[in-house]
Amino acid sequence: MSFALILNLVWHVGTLALIALGLAIVFGKLRILNMAHGEFVMIGAYSPVITSSMGLPGWLQLPVCLLTVGLVALAVERTVVCRLYGRMFDSLLATWGISILLREAVELIFGRGYQSVSLPIPGTVQIFGTSYPAYRIAIIGCIALGFAILAWWNSRSMVATRIKAMVENPGLAQAVGINTGRLSAWAFVFGCCTAGLAGLALAPTIRVEPMMGLDYLIKSFFALVVGGLGTLEGLGLGAGIIAGTQSLVGAALNQTYGYLAVLSLSILFLWLKPDGIHSALR
Amino acid sequence: MTGNLAKLFACAALPLALASGPVIAEIKIGVLVPDSGPGGLFGPSTRNSAMLAADKINRSGGINGEQIELIFADVGVPPAEAAQAALRLWKGEGVEAFVGMHDSAVREALLGRFAGQVPYVYTPVYEGNSCAPGLYITGETPSQQLAPVIPFVMDKESVSKWYLIGHDYNWPRDTNALARQFIADAGGDVVGEEYVPFTVSDFDSSLQRIGDSGADAVLVTLVGGGSVGFNVSFGSFGMDEQAIRLGTLIEENTLAGIGADNANRLYSSAGYFGSIETEAAATFAAEYAAAFGTDAPALNGLGQSAYEGLMLLAALANKAGSLNVQAMDAAAEGTAWSTPRGDNTLKGRHMAQTIYLADGTGGTFTIIASFENVSSSEACSS
Repeated sequence: MSFALILNLVWHVGTLALIALGLAIVFGKLRILNMAHGEFVMIGAYSPVITSSMGLPGWLQLPVCLLTVGLVALAVERTVVCRLYGRMFDSLLATWGISILLREAVELIFGRGYQSVSLPIPGTVQIFGTSYPAYRIAIIGCIALGFAILAWWNSRSMVATRIKAMVENPGLAQAVGINTGRLSAWAFVFGCCTAGLAGLALAPTIRVEPMMGLDYLIKSFFALVVGGLGTLEGLGLGAGIIAGTQSLVGAALNQTYGYLAVLSLSILFLWLKPDGIHSALR
Repeated sequence: MTGNLAKLFACAALPLALASGPVIAEIKIGVLVPDSGPGGLFGPSTRNSAMLAADKINRSGGINGEQIELIFADVGVPPAEAAQAALRLWKGEGVEAFVGMHDSAVREALLGRFAGQVPYVYTPVYEGNSCAPGLYITGETPSQQLAPVIPFVMDKESVSKWYLIGHDYNWPRDTNALARQFIADAGGDVVGEEYVPFTVSDFDSSLQRIGDSGADAVLVTLVGGGSVGFNVSFGSFGMDEQAIRLGTLIEENTLAGIGADNANRLYSSAGYFGSIETEAAATFAAEYAAAFGTDAPALNGLGQSAYEGLMLLAALANKAGSLNVQAMDAAAEGTAWSTPRGDNTLKGRHMAQTIYLADGTGGTFTIIASFENVSSSEACSS
């Protein structure tokens, strides 16, 4: 049964890293404190509900997810967020309002009730004598592959550098030919789409309802606080420490102590090491 | 001039004549429903059920011959605010009795304000043992949901090793304390007991413990989203092969969130399900669909409890001959009436009622057993 513990650990670290990735981009790079991050996870989780209510085949879940989340994110960026670059506290208030708006909108369309999303890959597989849900194994594989590609792209592309230039000195960035409007919009939409993908991946394994986003926002912030902003390594470390602590303490003692440990850890980091373990600022 | 005055008086008399006609309500009843907050999911079905009850009461002669009118207030708010809302109905709008579907914290706040001055029927599933002048209860208590059901399930499914899991507050803890006794009486063992905070949304470590414990039955007293999350994970780990599940607050909305894939061998015990097939229940469900359409919020035990509450209020006030608390308290014991749930009797201010056991396999509830006239051991002394 201890191998199941390791698989649980990998699952929780992987999914938290995926959930927090979007926040790491939008908060870590663009300096927008996106309180509506969890709602993009929620909208992603509703995409199987959208396809099944419209009678569309299951393979359209992914395109529907990217399209829905992408369009909502683009609308949010063009109307509100684009005016708030460089005003971190204002962005917190504005996106908090947007998060309420998105929750109410989803409630209006689909109702308050719980939605169920069936597993695309049902059943369990035997790994080292432990039976584990096949779907989770597949998602762990996808997340590992996705992050490998992202790390490779990140090491070669100039996009991260351009974003940094844009955030730190927008005027100079424009002067050297960076289209800051387009770059920031794409970065925001990309961040939100990764949150939507996380929601889509998690949907068959969790409860799906309009209020679900808040859980994921809080966990993501904890991961970023511990890991530090601005680097993929920090994101991985933060997700590992937060999800690992919750899983291990939760398994060894109980869930109450697991949550307590996560809260204590986050407070300690904010107090003693506010930049986190591996931050790009400094 | 005199002619004009006569006309004026005639005009003034007209509304008076209308007001004394049979269509205008004479008794206002406050119905306290959760429109917001965590219970907000149950607001619409609670309102609908209450309106059906008012219609039924008015068609059968009202309360002591007087027609009733419902006035709703949102109590899905903190207890102090909920008490304020109820006070406005009572003192401001002239409400003469209350029916409430809300949590226990709000009930305690209301009892403090009402101080036995106004009749109050409390309707949802709850932990039991709440007694006060003017308070009458229709909701199922743990002993009602478990005493007949645990031995039945253990016999039917040949299970004996129970794992108890619930959210960390008094309803699950009180339920499990009683469950231990019923399990022991039926020759079973409790192999684990666990309480999780409301903030927890993943249950993997709990599922591991259940797996390791060798349990073949799990008593679930998680509520709402936590129950959905737990049961979804339970199903995806294939643990339905190891153990059956029995829940005492798994209603139609929760089952919809759990989904057909994860509901194999998931049992629920309650006083009401939308799929009860008795004539009274089928008629009620048909009236509900006719009044609110087929897309209306699904019938469930919590929402429907408002109907039970109003029917109890009418039966009791008719028996006592008034809505006076002293008269109603004196008449309360032994009041008998029938509803979609079956034949009910008021014993110790709590409703002795039929308890149904439903199987959620396949994603919809199928009633597999019913136990008539089950009274509560957490009732009041008189």
